[in-house]
Amino acid sequence: MNLPAFALFERTLRVETRSVVVCLGRVGLLLIILMMLLMVQTAARTGIFGAPGLQFLEYMVWVNVVFITLAGFSYFASAITEEKEEMMLGLLRMTDLNSIAILLGKSTSRLVGALLLLLVQLPFILLAVTLGGVGLHQIAAAYSTLLAYLFLLCNVALLCSVVFRNTATAAGVTLLLIFLFFFGNYWAAGIESDIASWYNVNLHRGVWPLITKIISLWRRSTPIEGLSGVFQTGFAGPIVGFQVVSNLVLGLIAFLLSWLVFDVCTRTEKDPAPTRLWIFTRKNRSSRMPRHVAGARSITWKDFAFITGGKFGLLLKFIVVILIVGVCNIFEYESDSKLSWEFEGATLVWVSLISTAVWLAIEASRVFKEEVRWKTLSSLMTLPISVPELAYRKTLGALIGTLPLLAGFFIGLLIVPDKVGDFFAEINRDPSEFGALVVVFLNFLLFFHLTAFLSLVVKRGALPLAIAIHVVGLILFGMSSLFLFAAATSGGGVLFLAGFICVVLAIPLHFAIGYRLGHLGAEE
Amino acid sequence: MSEPIIEIQELYHTYKRQQAVRGVSFTVAAGSIHGFVGPNGAGKTTTLKILATLLKPQRGIVRVFGLNIVSQYKEVRRKLGFMPDHFSLYRQMTVQEYLDFFAAAYGMNYEERARVVSNVLALTDMEARRTDMIKGLSRGMQQRISLARVLVHDPQLLLLDEPASGLDPRARIELMEILQELRRMGKTIFISSHILSELALLCDSVTILDRGTVRYSGAMSGLHRRDEETADYMLSLVEEHPETEAALRKVGGVIGVTKEPKAPQYRVSFQRKQTDPNTLLRATLECGAQIQGFQEIVRHLNQAFMDLTEPGVPPLIEVSGNGEAASPAISTPPPIPAPPGGAS
Repeated sequence: MNLPAFALFERTLRVETRSVVVCLGRVGLLLIILMMLLMVQTAARTGIFGAPGLQFLEYMVWVNVVFITLAGFSYFASAITEEKEEMMLGLLRMTDLNSIAILLGKSTSRLVGALLLLLVQLPFILLAVTLGGVGLHQIAAAYSTLLAYLFLLCNVALLCSVVFRNTATAAGVTLLLIFLFFFGNYWAAGIESDIASWYNVNLHRGVWPLITKIISLWRRSTPIEGLSGVFQTGFAGPIVGFQVVSNLVLGLIAFLLSWLVFDVCTRTEKDPAPTRLWIFTRKNRSSRMPRHVAGARSITWKDFAFITGGKFGLLLKFIVVILIVGVCNIFEYESDSKLSWEFEGATLVWVSLISTAVWLAIEASRVFKEEVRWKTLSSLMTLPISVPELAYRKTLGALIGTLPLLAGFFIGLLIVPDKVGDFFAEINRDPSEFGALVVVFLNFLLFFHLTAFLSLVVKRGALPLAIAIHVVGLILFGMSSLFLFAAATSGGGVLFLAGFICVVLAIPLHFAIGYRLGHLGAEE
Repeated sequence: MSEPIIEIQELYHTYKRQQAVRGVSFTVAAGSIHGFVGPNGAGKTTTLKILATLLKPQRGIVRVFGLNIVSQYKEVRRKLGFMPDHFSLYRQMTVQEYLDFFAAAYGMNYEERARVVSNVLALTDMEARRTDMIKGLSRGMQQRISLARVLVHDPQLLLLDEPASGLDPRARIELMEILQELRRMGKTIFISSHILSELALLCDSVTILDRGTVRYSGAMSGLHRRDEETADYMLSLVEEHPETEAALRKVGGVIGVTKEPKAPQYRVSFQRKQTDPNTLLRATLECGAQIQGFQEIVRHLNQAFMDLTEPGVPPLIEVSGNGEAASPAISTPPPIPAPPGGAS
């Protein structure tokens, strides 16, 4: 391949082939496959699964869907933005490489790497046939579905990467598009039927049949729909069905769009420096350090004001929580035509809790990373405070950002005091429920530590990587506990073990974060 | 001689299997500007980071203001300001916010912060850009803000790593003026730079580092002479006078007299202990020559740097498990002893 268009592509492939990290990723994937194989095999012996081969295939395919989705908004969405952020795109464009060569080199090479990860599974997946309950035809159809979804996602992420200035925005928009792709058709169908019922519209006339058809095609193009067909016993559909074709076509369109807009979107190189919220104009006093803040507390204030968004950020988060609760209300009203305080309280509690977890995960991935990325850690580390104090002060700044979310949680509890009472009564009756709660908390604690640590180790994609590692860890623990411990101990024993493992893993990560911070501060 | 503010004895530091600093020892006097020069990879930044308490010394003694930089690092940090070779700026902040944050981080109250920020902005001539976003400032201005940040807590010692790199000539000259002003204010400045001509003008003393070892450390004046025993002078006459060479050779202690081609000039080398410049001048006048000029030939910092450092890229120095160099692959010329009364 001596064509200039493939020069960067070929080079990237060569680099990835030699990369130890990629090899380790493949080994990790194979370990997951083997663990799943073991689990399904053991379960089949006990008679839990009627069709262990099909079960094995299902597990593997869904794990792949999760990993492909994670890769979509991290690995693929940074293809071009990472060059923009390092101000390297201009230099690339000054060479003989044209836009197609850059796109192929930066994105398609990643796609090929991911495709290889899928293909490497095939010999093992064929064991599903031996396990029984599934045919070669189904395996081929399932993997063609995955390949097409991967192709679509890679190119949609590439388009976002070309259009947007930084990886965070590109990743966020990619995630939103994935979400809309998977679930948007259900909302569209719901809205269509609501319009029909509210305005007494005949859906069989005018443009409505076309809209209905589009929504139906949209639904059929999602991997959920494609795979649900494939996993049915006696599946006899085509290997390359509508979902595969539509995903390939949409992916191709996204790639062509990326190519078309590449020059327009990358013509001017912009300063990749972090931006501040539009509300903080230079005359705005809200970003001025308060009179009473001094000493190490100023680090907390700095992170609160400039990383979590300050007071405006607090207000914004509270508004977002209320908006989400509002949307939930709409759906509830559509289904039941009534609303209750019980529903409001429970929704507020759950939305606040989930938002807190999501927000903390995002914060964990950037609270230290931002200092490393913009090389400001060394100036902080020459302040007369220790590295642990610096880390705790920064963490506190990030935690203050969760106050409106926690406020939502407590308001929700106040709305439904009876439910809170019931909850405590339940805990009193069955202490293992409290244990489960503690384990969930410890799991999140471990996850945040892992995310923060990875953000100091990997260049990009710490959060998706942490999710992937955590998911794999949970799967492995789930399997181990199911087969090794559950039989020997009670449910409480497994909970204790889970909590113990979380603590044992979180403690070294906790210290490793401090060590890495010190190391990176000196390295700058 | 004033008390040393920095004392380094037998400092060693190794990165994985590569020894960056090998037995470095020198001192820096209070109130001086001390240059720290050496080729890339000589170990300058490692030494600076150790002094700034960012790195722990693996072997050796490092004291700043007489304090141990490992056990008393918080006290040391209060007394020094470190400016790394990159700007280390929060570019989404305004100049005022940035300096205010660091002033607060050093524990200053609101009124004190306001005063200090105004003072450092005045010193660095950045008052007019107080409300500007840092990311919109030029490189030179960002450098000034970085220097202003180092000054907010009024440190007595400034550690500056390549402060002039990438600056245009005007910005460099202005930076040097600020540094001279800081010296007048009584600060000790330890500055690492590759711009030797400016260091030569600015510094009282210098340490030359090469391949992790000190090749010279002492007063700048000591660097100008090749050694303490002999001296080289340039004698310029109004017109050619052939008898002069013979007359100079007769003076006891004169090692050599070399006539410059196409000019009535003589390069005279002599033993300091046996004769002096006045004797040479007298001998010249007595032989009937008319003197136009007579001055000592001194080595510029550039020349000293070239003489004391080795050419080429330094090889990796493998270290054994105990941190010692396993195979001294490079030759180490003996360090030049510092003259009495120098900085070290």
